[in-house]
This record gives sequence, structure tokens and C-alpha cells, in this order.
Amino acid sequence: MQSILCFFFPATMTVVIGFEGSANKIGVGIIRDGEVLSNPRRTYITPPGQGFMPSDTARHHRAVILTVLKEALEEAGLKPADIDCVAYTKGPGMGAPLVTVAIVARTVAQLWGKPLLGVNHCIGHIEMGRLITKASNPTVLYVSGGNTQVIAYSERRYRIFGETIDIAVGNCLDRFARVIKISNDPSPGYNIEQMAKTGTQYVELPYTVKGMDVSFSGILSYIEEAANKMLSSGQCTAADLCFSLQETVFAMLVEITERAMAHCSSQEVLIVGGVGCNLRLQEMMGVMCEERGAKLFATDDRFCIDNGAMIAQAGWEMFQSGQVTELEDSWITQRYRTDEVEVTWRD
Amino acid sequence: MAGQTTLSRFVGKADLVKQGAEGRVYRAQFLGKPTIVKERFRKRYRHPVLDEKLTHRRTVQEVRSILRCRRAGISAPVVYFVDYTSHCIFMEEIAGSSTVRDHIVSTQQANSCKELELQQLAERIGRILAKMHDEDVIHGDLTTSNMLLRCSSQDTESDLVLIDFGLSYISSLPEDKGVDLYVLEKAFLSSHPNTNVLFEKLLQSYTKSSKKSPAVIKKLDEVRLRGRKRSMVG
Amino acid sequence: MLNGSICFQQRVTQILYKDVKNAAELRRKAMEGNINGALVNPTMLVGPFQVLVAANKAVHLQTTGKMKTKTLNAEIIFNLSPTNNISEAFKRFGISDGDHSILVVVVHKSDEVQFVSDISAMVDGQQLPVDDVSSLSDFNKIKKLFKITPQEEKCGPLLDAVVCRMAIKDVL
Repeated sequence: MQSILCFFFPATMTVVIGFEGSANKIGVGIIRDGEVLSNPRRTYITPPGQGFMPSDTARHHRAVILTVLKEALEEAGLKPADIDCVAYTKGPGMGAPLVTVAIVARTVAQLWGKPLLGVNHCIGHIEMGRLITKASNPTVLYVSGGNTQVIAYSERRYRIFGETIDIAVGNCLDRFARVIKISNDPSPGYNIEQMAKTGTQYVELPYTVKGMDVSFSGILSYIEEAANKMLSSGQCTAADLCFSLQETVFAMLVEITERAMAHCSSQEVLIVGGVGCNLRLQEMMGVMCEERGAKLFATDDRFCIDNGAMIAQAGWEMFQSGQVTELEDSWITQRYRTDEVEVTWRD
Repeated sequence: MAGQTTLSRFVGKADLVKQGAEGRVYRAQFLGKPTIVKERFRKRYRHPVLDEKLTHRRTVQEVRSILRCRRAGISAPVVYFVDYTSHCIFMEEIAGSSTVRDHIVSTQQANSCKELELQQLAERIGRILAKMHDEDVIHGDLTTSNMLLRCSSQDTESDLVLIDFGLSYISSLPEDKGVDLYVLEKAFLSSHPNTNVLFEKLLQSYTKSSKKSPAVIKKLDEVRLRGRKRSMVG
Repeated sequence: MLNGSICFQQRVTQILYKDVKNAAELRRKAMEGNINGALVNPTMLVGPFQVLVAANKAVHLQTTGKMKTKTLNAEIIFNLSPTNNISEAFKRFGISDGDHSILVVVVHKSDEVQFVSDISAMVDGQQLPVDDVSSLSDFNKIKKLFKITPQEEKCGPLLDAVVCRMAIKDVL
């Protein structure tokens, strides 16, 4: 009976604001007990053929962060006084952008007199995915420009069962895009995905799976070496290369996810991270799940791609379980493994 | 089910044991013997050309590595028959066996006095893997689930049988052997929390058993570091 | 005589003879296609299971159109060999004119039995239980031909080592 009473007369709601800027997106999101009140974001876009450098990215974030913050508050219809906790990305990520965002978070926390919370970026993706999809205990494929991990929860940790032994899948895609000068607007991955739709010819590429781990550096160096030759000789089109690269690297990702599921006897998959909004990857994962009688959970670009709400959501979970980060501990770190965090908010 | 019709040409009745990531595993009677059938069915999520290439390659690699191991005196299931059309391998069922994974879990639950026995097992695994790597066989998917303990009737020490060679290949490079051990280390420590000492024993006996081990262990350290040093941006 | 099932609902019957006096005549008849069975040299066999493995593979390859030899009976003999050399296989696993022991291998439908008396009428020799085939085996020759290492013998019986090579030889 008690729980029903709680349902009708809830305690005051908890509002968390989250700051994210570990790579080339800067986002501020506000969450109130599982509800996304606002989640504005900006992306630093570089010209075709160029990646984003830490100092330029930080400069971009500095230029827009206060505008994004203002948008977040206005859209949510909240005043600083309504916020209960300020969460920010502690890491992993690029040093300069992380510092930029952490400074703003620390400043507003002190101005508003609110507690701070340093959040692991990867955990932010996982918790946002769980919130949006309602997946209860999924095997998580976390794929982005900097990460490729297969994660499952066990005994208070998000444990990494499989990962890349060299570069991340998103990094492989981004660098391929630079080789054949695909636009970075809105993102190289998105443009590869669109071009792949018109590719017809499958070009054989190296396929490297080692147990539950994968390797992409061999594929990248192969395609870096061969792409322009194949294109200029007319052996295949740029679309064919996009298609073949996606088919190959996504098959590897689905395979290691399936292996981890078999290993953990899991019947749920959640895809998170920027590469996770690729519909072809979602489609392939869906087919695998169907074959195993498992369920696929995925989100769209609003939540797959780095955003502030995901930091707010992980921060909300941490805050509810009693955690806060003291000012003197509110540093950032470029390396911060998913399995370093003790998950205090799950059984 | 497509797999069942293919199998029914060869065996009367096949019981599905499990659906792993690699394929379906059945238990059946084949030519009068208790047999495990591993069927790599078509993965519809993969491009058909890639699927056919991978499936064929893995079937071939699996049986080749099994023979190479057996020739070196490393126990692996006897292959009775391979159907390269339906990608089925018919092999010996290791009767009365349990996985090393289950053995470690149950021993740990039972009591702590058996710690010594587990250490001896870890050392035995280390020796066998060293021998396998000396034959240039890279297993590709080393886990404690892919090692079986077969109880032998006469002596007290059970026989260790390596299985699931689908991701295996032949290489003499220390890098490949180092990654093989890295894959095992991660699988070992994630399946069996708090067994760092046990895994250390395994590596020590691996190191002692192979003349080529220093270069492999050096690579293993490098691969571990790559994991920790990766900046993981984004 | 030993009867076992193999793929596609076919059966294999093995009949073992010793003190055979007309090996040359039988070999000629087999080459002319007048014996509906494969004539195997039993000294190169460890056990009847080896023959089942060879026959099963032969029927499978015949069905999929991938036989390496021209007839099912020749394919059975070829499959017994550890190498992919056809004439070598016949030399080792087929019979020679001076042989005194022969194993006749017949693949047939389950309801067929007539051939047994046909073959018995042709062979001038003494029939033995097929399980006695190992009493005729030349183990040293088998180990040498199959290149069985002493370490491998620790892994299990000789039959396993032999069968494993037969099953895998096409991808070695």
C-alpha cells in the first residue's frame, strides 16, 4: 500500500542540468525525474578532409556554451533556483573541450549554490539509452567516434566484454570520409550512411574479429591505400565503398554483440553512441536479434549523438543514490574507463 | 527449420544444445556414435558474399586447427565429417565433460580449500596454450567456456580439451599470440571476478613452458596498455 | 557382416574374408564394374567405423556432384586415404592380386539383401566377423602412412587419429 501512496503523493521532483562537450558537440540538457525538459546542442563542423582539433573545438564550445545554456533554461521554462544539481562530463574525451565545459559547470554550480556531479560520458550514453528505450538489463553496444565497446552490467559495474583493440569504429568511418573527401556536415557518418544507400557492388575488405574484440586499423589502412586507386580506375564508386565499409564493420559489431549475448545469456540489446543512430546498423542488429528471439533497443540522433540530457540523466541517477562531487574533486580526465565507475544506482 | 532438414539427411534425430554466436550446436547419433554437430547457418544480417566467405573460412579453419592441435598432442574433438555445402562439422561428443568455466565457478562456491587445485588447473591451461602457440595455432576465441575437462577413468587428472576453433588461424607472430592471451585474460577475469592470482599462475606457467614466450608476453603487455591509453574521445 | 546406416537413408554392409584365393579375379571383375561393391585391403583399416566414415562421405559427395573419382565404390576407397592422390589411394587401400584378405563394402537401400549372396558366391575365401578386422591390421604401416605422431596417440585411440585425417584431408 505504501508504494501506491508514494505514487499519488510523490516527494518533490529532482531536476538535474547536464553539460556535455567531450568532443565536437556541445550540449546542455535538463531532466526532471525521467522527463527531458530541454536538450539543445551545437556541433563544431570542420571542412571536408579535416578532423577537429582539441583547441579549435574548445574555442567553438567557449563561443556558444552560454547561448546553449540560456536556451536550455528557457526551453525548460526553469530558473536556476529550480535546478537541484549540476552534472558535467568528467571524461573520457578531449582535454581542452572537457576543461572548457567543466569550468562553466563549476561556475554556475557556485553561482547558483547547487551541488556538482562529475559524470562518465559512456555511462551517460548507457543511462540515457535505458531511460528512452526502457530496456531493463541490456547488452550494450556503445559505438562512437572514440569508443567501441560491448558492455553488460554485473555486480555494480558496467563491464566491458568486448572492445576495439585499436581505433573506434566511428574514427574509422570519419577517417575514411576524409580520404575520399566526404562532407563533415552534419557528420561524416551520416553522409556515409546516405551514400551507402546507392552503393550496389560489395568490395571485399579485411574482417577482423578476435573473440569479443574487434580491430579496425587494418581495414582503415587497407581502404586508405586502395580507395583512391579503386575510384580513379573506375573499379567501384564512392557509394560502393561506403556501402562495403558499412557492411563489413557493422557485421563485425553485430557479431561481437551476439557473442557477448551468448556469453551472458542476454536477450536484450541496446545500441548507444553516435554511430548507433545509423539505421543500417540498427537494421542488421535487429535481424540478429530476431534470429535469437531477442529484443533490440535503439534511439535516434537526438539521444544517440552526444547531448546534455544524457549527462543530466546519469547525474540524476547518481544524485538520487546520494553521490555528489566536491568542488576540489571536480577535475576532468581524458581517460576514464566505463568499468571504473561503481554503479551505485542499480541492484 | 532449414538446419534440421540438412541434418536429417545424416542423422535421425538432432537435439539443439545451444545457439551460440557462431551457429547452432546439436547433439545426435552419427554413424552410431554420440556426435556434436556444429552448424554455421546463414546469418541474414550479413551481406551474402561476406557471409559465405566467412562461414566457409571458419569451417575450414576450425577443422584444420583441430587436426594441428591433435597432432601436437593437444586434445581437441575428433572430426568425423564436414559438409562444406551446409557448413556443418560433425565431431566427437566429449562425453562426461564440463567446461572449465563451470568447474571454476562450482569450485569457488564449494570452499576455499580447493584453491590449490584451481591453481594447478590454471598452470595446466598455461602449459597447453604455450604448446598450442608453439604450433603457431592462434585460437581466436579463448574463454573458459571453450575449454572442457574430460574425466578420465584411470588417472586422477582429467583431460583438458580445447574446442570452438572457428576464429582460429595459423600465425607465428608474437602480436597474434599476445592478442590471443589478451582475449583470454579479459574473458577469464570478466567471467570469474577476483581471479587475478589464478590468471597470473596461468601466465607464469605459459611463460615457463614456451621458449618463444618472452616476445609474446611483451606484446600482451603492449596490447593491455593500448586499451588503457586509448583516449576514447566522443 | 556388419550393417550400418549413413546419409540419405542409405545403408552400408561390410563383409570380411580371409584366406581368399581369387583376389586377382575379383579385382578384374571390380574394374570391369561387375562387382557392386568396393574391395578394400583390410590390413590398412583400424576398424569398421573408418569404412562408414568413407562411405558416408562418398554418398554425400555423389549427391552434391563433388566426387573426385568416377564411381561411388572408387570414391569410398579414395576417402579411406589420408592424401588427395587417387592412384596412391588405390595402391594402399584397394586390393592387389596377391592379397589373401578382403573387405567388401556395399552401399545399398535398406531393403536390398540379394547382393550378399551374390558376393559370397564370387569370393573364394572364409568369412569373418567384421569386428575382427583389427586382427588383420598392420598398425605400423597405418601409423606411418597417416603420419601419426607419438604425442597424438596420447590424445586418444588410433582410430580417432585416422578418421580425423580422412575427414579433413580435402582442406589440408
